[in-house]
Amino acid sequence: MRAFGNKIKIKEDVKTIRIALAGNPNSGKTSLFNALTGQVQHVGNYPGVTVEKKIGRIRYKGKILEFVDLPGTYSLTAFSIEEIVTRDYVLQEKPDVVIDVIDSTNLERNLYLCLQFQELGVPVIGALNMTDEAENLGIHIDEKQLGRILGIPFVKTIGTRGSGKEMLLDTALQVAEGEIISTARHLNYGLELESQHYRLIDVLKTDPEFGKKYALHWMAIKLMENDREALKKIASEHSNADLVLQQGEIVRSWIEKHFGEDSEVVVCEQRYAYIHGACREVVKHDSGSERIDFTEMVDKVVLNRYLGLIIFFGIMFLIYHLTFNLGNPLSDGIDRFFVWLQDVLVTFLPAGIFRDFLVEGIIGGVGGVLVFFPIVLLLFLGLSFLEDTGYMARAAFVMDKFMHLFGLHGRSFIPMMVSTGCAVPGIMSARTLVNPKDRVLTIFISPLMMCGAKTPVIAMLAAAFFPEHAGTVFWSLWFFGWLLALSIAKLFRHVIYRGEVSPFVMELPPYRMPTIRGVITHVWEKSWAYVKKAGTFILAASVIIWFVLSFPKPHHIYEQHEQAQQQLDSQLQSVAAEENSELLIQNIQDKKDSLDAALAERELKYGMGGRFGQFIEPVFRTCGFDWRMDIALFAGIAAKEVIISTMGIVYGIGETNVERENGNITLKEKLENDPRYNPRKILAFMIFVLIYVPCMATLAVVKKELGSWKYPLFMAGYTLVLAWILAASVYQISRVLGIGG
Amino acid sequence: MTLSDIKDRGYFRIVAVRATGEIRRRLIDMGFIKGAEGQVLREALLKDPIELRLKGYRISLRRAEAAMIQVEEVNERHH
Repeated sequence: MRAFGNKIKIKEDVKTIRIALAGNPNSGKTSLFNALTGQVQHVGNYPGVTVEKKIGRIRYKGKILEFVDLPGTYSLTAFSIEEIVTRDYVLQEKPDVVIDVIDSTNLERNLYLCLQFQELGVPVIGALNMTDEAENLGIHIDEKQLGRILGIPFVKTIGTRGSGKEMLLDTALQVAEGEIISTARHLNYGLELESQHYRLIDVLKTDPEFGKKYALHWMAIKLMENDREALKKIASEHSNADLVLQQGEIVRSWIEKHFGEDSEVVVCEQRYAYIHGACREVVKHDSGSERIDFTEMVDKVVLNRYLGLIIFFGIMFLIYHLTFNLGNPLSDGIDRFFVWLQDVLVTFLPAGIFRDFLVEGIIGGVGGVLVFFPIVLLLFLGLSFLEDTGYMARAAFVMDKFMHLFGLHGRSFIPMMVSTGCAVPGIMSARTLVNPKDRVLTIFISPLMMCGAKTPVIAMLAAAFFPEHAGTVFWSLWFFGWLLALSIAKLFRHVIYRGEVSPFVMELPPYRMPTIRGVITHVWEKSWAYVKKAGTFILAASVIIWFVLSFPKPHHIYEQHEQAQQQLDSQLQSVAAEENSELLIQNIQDKKDSLDAALAERELKYGMGGRFGQFIEPVFRTCGFDWRMDIALFAGIAAKEVIISTMGIVYGIGETNVERENGNITLKEKLENDPRYNPRKILAFMIFVLIYVPCMATLAVVKKELGSWKYPLFMAGYTLVLAWILAASVYQISRVLGIGG
Repeated sequence: MTLSDIKDRGYFRIVAVRATGEIRRRLIDMGFIKGAEGQVLREALLKDPIELRLKGYRISLRRAEAAMIQVEEVNERHH
């Protein structure tokens, strides 16, 4: 918050009013936030976690209003990151006003959160959002009466149209200026509970410093609820911690005896009972004929036991094709542009390290980042649309049982499927998984899929070494990727998250028409965040890999190479003067090319990467790989498709000639005819390529999404070991059985 | 009888939530409290998870979670 405030210069005399926007998921909070703040938004993270934090500022009636978008939550317990973030923000930053956005069609459950904000002792305004929808459903809310009962102002809004905006802002100003009292109106949770509550407040009061920091009313309630985060705060910060905690225990056991139920349950039940009473007074339902329930009508088809599955796969197919069929040509275009740029620079800049660095390190790296951009953009266009309509939760519903067999969540399917195109957007789409364990698990296994970059490598090798069964081999590996990912998920669920079951409890929101603006905002934020965050790392890593593969240079052979080239050049000149010399010229040109290729091969072998490849050769000999394959695999960490071009260099045919069909020998032919290679080795190699270390773009995105290096490091480690074990097994077993030799 | 035993389209009233830890707190926060009434709407292809209506909104649970919620059958939902 404050760090952000430094970035924008504000005149000292203008008062900034800080407003936090909170609410349940699906309450229309985001569209209301957009309506309130316009386009002036800044996206960051809450300190220490990867939960997104959006800030928007506007000027209103001579004041500066700063809005912070809190994560969507159902409650303020300490079970999810979102809840802890919301709670800590309100407790520590003490915003001037909290606007709780409430879905008017679902008043009871939404007010549950509102009550918890009141307990926190902050000024709260309730925004009764989606009033239009509620009216259509025949739900009429008397917001004035609701305000009188709960003791805080309520304003009716329609976030998608921005109506009620002015009224909300005016109310927020009035609350911030103290014209409307909207704090700590005591909620009555029943006489017995109240007396216990006051006993706790009395003990808490014994430390006045603690009382200044936290709302004691709230702390007392949390003590009754046995909230672990609050207990931790008391234990470490209250001067009479022992006494307070002891009193808390006494009160809890008293409640349990008195109500015959857990104190935590009792408190929640009292909240709901209080809300239920309030709603009975302020909500009027249209009597008469039952209204047509649109959501139920759609669900009858979309969630039909059999149709549901067909519709699900239909939608997935559509999104997949939209993303990759439209995205790949765009990506290719970007790729071509950067190749063109590289060519131009090579032509106009003098040869040397600086040119190499610029062309291969920087431009190669920037290109590597931007190549994914159209795919990320299109994918999120599709997924945001599904999320905003409310279908995403249905997709999870349809797939959950199957995914749960492997210890995954219904929502894990989408990241996995997307990863068969590209793991970068796949891992980003794992955000729909609310539970952190499910999300981490899904991210861990997604890069095991056959992705768009592994496809050309494996397809080429399959065509070269299994000419009769290339298709079968390729698709077997494709399915093997799925099978492996699901099995590993099952294994990790048992080993890493043993015995922990994460709840599936998931709201199925009503179907809603997404607003164009909402979808576009979503898409842009996510895609841009990718370029900014992952991009810097991918760029750095690509420079490092370039460096490792290019240095040191074999200076001692350059002179010899120059001489040989000059010799050929002079030959060329003398021949060019003669007539009918095309064939001869071509011949000399070919010789020149192969000289260059041989130089590139020796350079690569001489560099750190090449030496490393030769050094580790013994380790991978068990899998049947030689040092040439090892270098290619090492380079492939930059991006899997690089494996082919690196092999091109390593086999002395130049990276650009890999796919050239006319005249020169192609990599495919070269490999086919090389007696050192056989189908057995190549099958092991293909399996290795499928599984081993995710490309650095993927690793960068994992770091960005999960916020710590330990996750990508673990992934790199386990996939490397797994790839080695499987490749070695395939190679050794087929050797013993004498297959594919 | 638990929520998992309620047939499709059947109405129920919650008697108690027998879960523990995070799941229990989630369920309670979402409104699965004593006395709350709802309707089971449908089940997914492999009979799991189930969709139900509670307090005027839709929510889905796995059977294993539904089995932790003790309910009684009621004839009809009244608001």
